[in-house]
Amino acid sequence: MIEMESSLLSFAKASEKETSVLIQVKDVDIYYGENHAVRQVNMPIHERSITALIGPSGCGKSTFIRTINRMNDLIPTARCEGHIDYHGINILSPKVDVVKLRKEIGMVFQQPNPFPKTISENIQLPLKFAGVRNKRKLKDVTEQCLKQVTLWDEVKDRLDRSATGLSGGQQQRLCIARALALKPGVILLDEPTSALDPVSTAKIEELLLQLKKDYTIVIVTHNMQQAARIADYTAFFYQGELVEFGTTKKLFTQPEKKDTADYIAGRFG
Amino acid sequence: MGINKTMAGAPSNKDPKLSLLKEKGLIKRFTDHYSESRGRLIIYISASLMIIAVVAITLFLTVQGLRSFVIDRLNVWSFVTGTEWYPDRENNPSFGAFPFIFGSIAVTLLSAVIAAPVAVGCAIFMTELTKKWGQRVLQPVIEILVGIPSVVYGLIGLSVIVPFIKQYFGGSGFSLLAGSLVVGIMILPTVASIAADSIRSVPDTLREASYAIGATKWQTIWRVVIPAAGSSLITAIVLGMSRAFGEALAVQMVVGNARGLPTSIFDPAATLTTIITLSMGNSTYGSVLNDALWSLGLILLMISYIFIVIIRFLSKRRKA
Repeated sequence: MIEMESSLLSFAKASEKETSVLIQVKDVDIYYGENHAVRQVNMPIHERSITALIGPSGCGKSTFIRTINRMNDLIPTARCEGHIDYHGINILSPKVDVVKLRKEIGMVFQQPNPFPKTISENIQLPLKFAGVRNKRKLKDVTEQCLKQVTLWDEVKDRLDRSATGLSGGQQQRLCIARALALKPGVILLDEPTSALDPVSTAKIEELLLQLKKDYTIVIVTHNMQQAARIADYTAFFYQGELVEFGTTKKLFTQPEKKDTADYIAGRFG
Repeated sequence: MGINKTMAGAPSNKDPKLSLLKEKGLIKRFTDHYSESRGRLIIYISASLMIIAVVAITLFLTVQGLRSFVIDRLNVWSFVTGTEWYPDRENNPSFGAFPFIFGSIAVTLLSAVIAAPVAVGCAIFMTELTKKWGQRVLQPVIEILVGIPSVVYGLIGLSVIVPFIKQYFGGSGFSLLAGSLVVGIMILPTVASIAADSIRSVPDTLREASYAIGATKWQTIWRVVIPAAGSSLITAIVLGMSRAFGEALAVQMVVGNARGLPTSIFDPAATLTTIITLSMGNSTYGSVLNDALWSLGLILLMISYIFIVIIRFLSKRRKA
């Protein structure tokens, strides 16, 4: 983990200080076979802040977020053009080691997907994948990550029980803890609360606001109120295009484009 | 709403809506009920035939199998643990079935040890590595392999495996190892195709979760997919074992059919099934030997039931 960070970061430590933009997306096009799913996206992702991607179903926001850690590589027909610069490296380059990239840019999915293993194994597995063998360290990280997602007090007495016995909200927080285990620079969340009840959703939103002190967060959400509540920046996607990007406040109060205004006002979507 | 009301309440002839419902075919006619119950009858008969067959076979085998102990006064303990099988000895014939019980279990376990790793590897290959090719080419090939009659496997064992063992390990070549290899190859496609099904049933969200935390393909397969498929992979292996346990013909052709207890895997041996097929034709109905063979059959059935219980237990645990 540490060694990969240095190899990834050695290029452009300097540029990091100049700007708070951590990821710069330039002219990204995504195709599924012949289908041009996402067109010409340009946007910055700011460090230690929450960037929300909103838009109606099928607008390409999930496709786009899955490109940031190259999850779309798993889909044989998916193809991606353009640049996503992260610390001066183009993430989309075929030379990038996607396994290392995903250790640096973690992801949480819509459906909570803990492994059918014990709670502690769920958090330790990414570390083991990264080659950590030290038992002491594994234990420490488990505790630390569970505390970060405020799950520690609920599960500390049953770390050896199966994670599938947790409630949906707890499972999703466990998945976030699992994504934190490798201390990634960026966490991507693809509609993390859409399968959860309002109380669990509120807990996760609160948690994300805590986490943005240390992490850069990108979240896809169906729920505009959620974006308004937690995001610092919001991007509105519509029909495969990035219609508008700006600070959440500006986008929700003074949208520049009519489509944005209509969507926010609930006239479609 | 109107329809619901009419259907729920007792429809009377005075109801003006009723004629409309009749017109639209919403009211069941007598003939509908008739064809319904006829279909149900056929299905019930099929189901009960199935149950009757199982119960009848079990009962018949139990009655026949117990004759040797009840009528011929053979000692159950010495029958199961005795190592001397000399039913045709003039004075003092002995019926020790332990070598055959041991042979059956040894062939079953050895064949599982041989088949399981290859079958699971094959299943991983066709589900995780070459999804399209596996589906289009490997799956039909495996189905063909499942359909090959066991005598063909026996013939191949006889002409390839037995000479091979003879040449490299000495002895006659007819051995426990030869039997296990032949049965192992025979159950391989069965285990592989069930294992492939169980790996396919692992949800993709788990694979995604694994890749998203920076796992390689191999780590994902080894640490996430296989453990998640877990008990149903074991079910696949146990099913293969139960098939190996019941196989008679292919084993008989290569195992050597010795009545003694084998001391190594290169020694000839016999199994419950082979001894039954070999001796049944030579025994007269009602003789002690014939009864003893029935008892072997009963033991076979009981162990098969144990396999089924294990399979049920495993698949239940998976659902829980």
